[in-house]
Amino acid sequence: MATNFRKKKNTAPVMEGGETGSENIEVVGLSQGQIIRKRFFQHKPAIAGLVFMIFFTIFVYSAAGIHLGTEANKISIPGWWKYSHEDILPQGSCADGCPSPDHPMGQLPNGRDYFSLVMRGSEISLMIMVVIGGLAGLIGTVMGSVSGFFSGIIDAVMMRFTDFIITVPVILIGAVIGYNVGNFGVLPLAVFLGLFSWTGLTRLVRGEFLTLREREFVDAARVAGASNRRIIFKHILPNSVGVIIVSTTLLLSSSILVETGLSFLGFGVQPPDVSLGRLISDYQGEFIYAPWLFWWPGVIIIAIALSINFIGDGLRDAFDPRQARRINRKDFLAKSSTRDAVNKRK
Amino acid sequence: MLAFIGRRISLALLILFGSTYLTYQLAAYSGDPLAGVRESTDPNKEVIIRELTRTLQLDVPPPARYFLWLQKALGLATGTPDFGNTVLLRFPVIDQISAAIPITIRLLLISTILAIVLGITFGVLSAIRQYSRLDYSLTFLSFLLFSLPIFWVAVLLKEFMAIQFNDFLARPTIDLASNLVIATLLAVIITGFVSGTRKRVLITFGVSFSTVFLIFFAAGATEWFRYPSLGIFGITLLGASCAVGFTHVFTGLANKKALGAGLTSVALGAAVYYPFGALAGPGTNYPLMLAMAILMLSSSYFVGYFFTKIDKGPVIRVSMLSAFFVGLFTVLDKLMQTWDTYYELSNGRPIETMGSYNITLQSNDFWVVNLDLLTHLILPTTALTLISFAGYLRYSRASVLEVLSMDYIRTARAKGMPEREVILRHALRNAMIPLTTLIAFDIAGLLGGAIITEAVFGWRGMGSLANEAIVTQDLNLLMGTFSITAFLAVMATLAADLIYSTLDPRIRIRK
Repeated sequence: MATNFRKKKNTAPVMEGGETGSENIEVVGLSQGQIIRKRFFQHKPAIAGLVFMIFFTIFVYSAAGIHLGTEANKISIPGWWKYSHEDILPQGSCADGCPSPDHPMGQLPNGRDYFSLVMRGSEISLMIMVVIGGLAGLIGTVMGSVSGFFSGIIDAVMMRFTDFIITVPVILIGAVIGYNVGNFGVLPLAVFLGLFSWTGLTRLVRGEFLTLREREFVDAARVAGASNRRIIFKHILPNSVGVIIVSTTLLLSSSILVETGLSFLGFGVQPPDVSLGRLISDYQGEFIYAPWLFWWPGVIIIAIALSINFIGDGLRDAFDPRQARRINRKDFLAKSSTRDAVNKRK
Repeated sequence: MLAFIGRRISLALLILFGSTYLTYQLAAYSGDPLAGVRESTDPNKEVIIRELTRTLQLDVPPPARYFLWLQKALGLATGTPDFGNTVLLRFPVIDQISAAIPITIRLLLISTILAIVLGITFGVLSAIRQYSRLDYSLTFLSFLLFSLPIFWVAVLLKEFMAIQFNDFLARPTIDLASNLVIATLLAVIITGFVSGTRKRVLITFGVSFSTVFLIFFAAGATEWFRYPSLGIFGITLLGASCAVGFTHVFTGLANKKALGAGLTSVALGAAVYYPFGALAGPGTNYPLMLAMAILMLSSSYFVGYFFTKIDKGPVIRVSMLSAFFVGLFTVLDKLMQTWDTYYELSNGRPIETMGSYNITLQSNDFWVVNLDLLTHLILPTTALTLISFAGYLRYSRASVLEVLSMDYIRTARAKGMPEREVILRHALRNAMIPLTTLIAFDIAGLLGGAIITEAVFGWRGMGSLANEAIVTQDLNLLMGTFSITAFLAVMATLAADLIYSTLDPRIRIRK
């Protein structure tokens, strides 16, 4: 049973015991980590997604270079692409600004090179995605663990707080950031969005903790005199890591879409900066006359979100091959994290 | 139970208080409501600013101003709730909201229902045929739909479903090349749904390809898209295939009673085709239509009821569903007959890309007015359905898979129950319980509107009100829309908990 070798993981850390008996692997058996890795690598769409994401990230960051900091003190490492997204260039070989060897994704009417804009936009979108996902993943895990493990009054307070955060509209947060801290760039936006996106994951982790803390191995640990801290970090958390990783992955793919939607409404990334969402919403009117301005950012967003969704699916299969977990209402409610994301996108 | 509900409601009120307070503060600090006036060149600018400051009580700091707002909104002083006026035009916020609610419901209700029905149907299919070609196709489709930004879809829909379709209607013939492309695409999609040996797949592909090709050839040759109609023959044919389909799904074709009941309902529908056409003229209205729908459904109920003596449930279901679809086709046919009139009235651009209805439409004809609403609905509904469909598909699939691995399913199979019964009576009912939570939340979310969709398609629903309120720094409007949305969201949580504990006896509310 899935749950049995999950439990075993507590005594056999992920990296141990593979290489020594590699010629005799069937007999020696695989550690939990190896089983997961093996299963993940058998999931072809997930591998395709992973490979795409790795190459795409390297491509984007090397092409556009790395630019950090505010206008006043900027750290810039130029990329290999010859133009910057801020250059105003003379018209290239194609009169309407259509794609040409010099400008592979075409040019804007004002002469900017669209390839460099798309690269810069992807860079920012990826950054926002990672910040939101990372922050929300961290907060969600901590809140969910505490809430699920200690239950009782702490749980009640924290869950009502979660309900409270859910009711605050994301668009309003975008607007507040845009007005008050808009000039600091996109990082504050991403941080604030992350601070309000952890609710789904919290419910999920809480559900997992509620189930696991009733299990025998936790009782055993408690009887053996383990502290709460040890039980959380050594016994329960390693067993719920699958759930956390999977839903954080899905959080990543939904956060890129949330950013896109906010930018479309004008509350996301603000003008001197570009993001993929910003690019689509700025040039959707050009669909008939300059369709490449519309297609490129859209296709890239879809490719990123699709790859991440497939990676998430692969991870889910790897961590939980049988969908044999008991139906648990809390657990199911928590699964609505992607659901929330869908609603935000409307 | 009552104590539980009471406690939850008081908690919900507390949460509502907290979230409205936070929203009020966030919104108050997100901009200057007088910015527009300050920049104007109006000579008596100062007077306006003073006046607005007084009416909006801007001299009170936001943390305290919230309570002034709350006092008015709850109607503590006057007895009637007062959400104030909008800043720009001084309309009462209540009026704005009550105008926006029907629009939002119209926009979201159909797409939510469609997404639920289609999502659950395909989710169940996908789970039953796990790891089949159908399952893989649907999984890929749902991930693709999960990854689409809705306004990006909207631009594509506007171009291909509206603008190019309207262009096509001016010359509604289909040339051979595009017919071949359409037929191949549709045949590939249909083939994606079957599984089995290579021979079966190829046969399905061949049959569906030639059927689609012939249908579109005939449609192009008769300019069907410009002058569409189903006719009594088409309705009977479609209705009969629905009856056969539902019989196959719910009881199996071996059950002659169910098949007979379904077909009788279809015949009943076909029999009232001409009376319906005469009764539902241009001057008809919703109550009459509703009465006819109820009559049709109740008579089909009795058809099912009297057709068999044992196991009436599935038979009634087949007969009512067949009647429902025959009714739907009849209404569709009626709308199709109006299509030509509407085409002329809309200057040859029937599918609309913007707005929720045609303001300049000069007609009082019930059918023309409704067709107008439908042609405006079609794009946003498609976009929203596509986005929400994926969610329901994934959840119902996961839920059914979870239930199918339960011991009681094995027991049901072991005692020799036919697979259809196992799925329909044991698996589906239990698998649908968790979905009620999602549905409760979605239905509560209906009134919140769909901010992005409403913005793209130019609908003035709740979403665009909220958007406008944030853009113009209109606190009254924002708080009005937000209070309703938040209230419903909190109530949905409670309703979901209660429904869940009623449906699933294993969940008991703690005393």
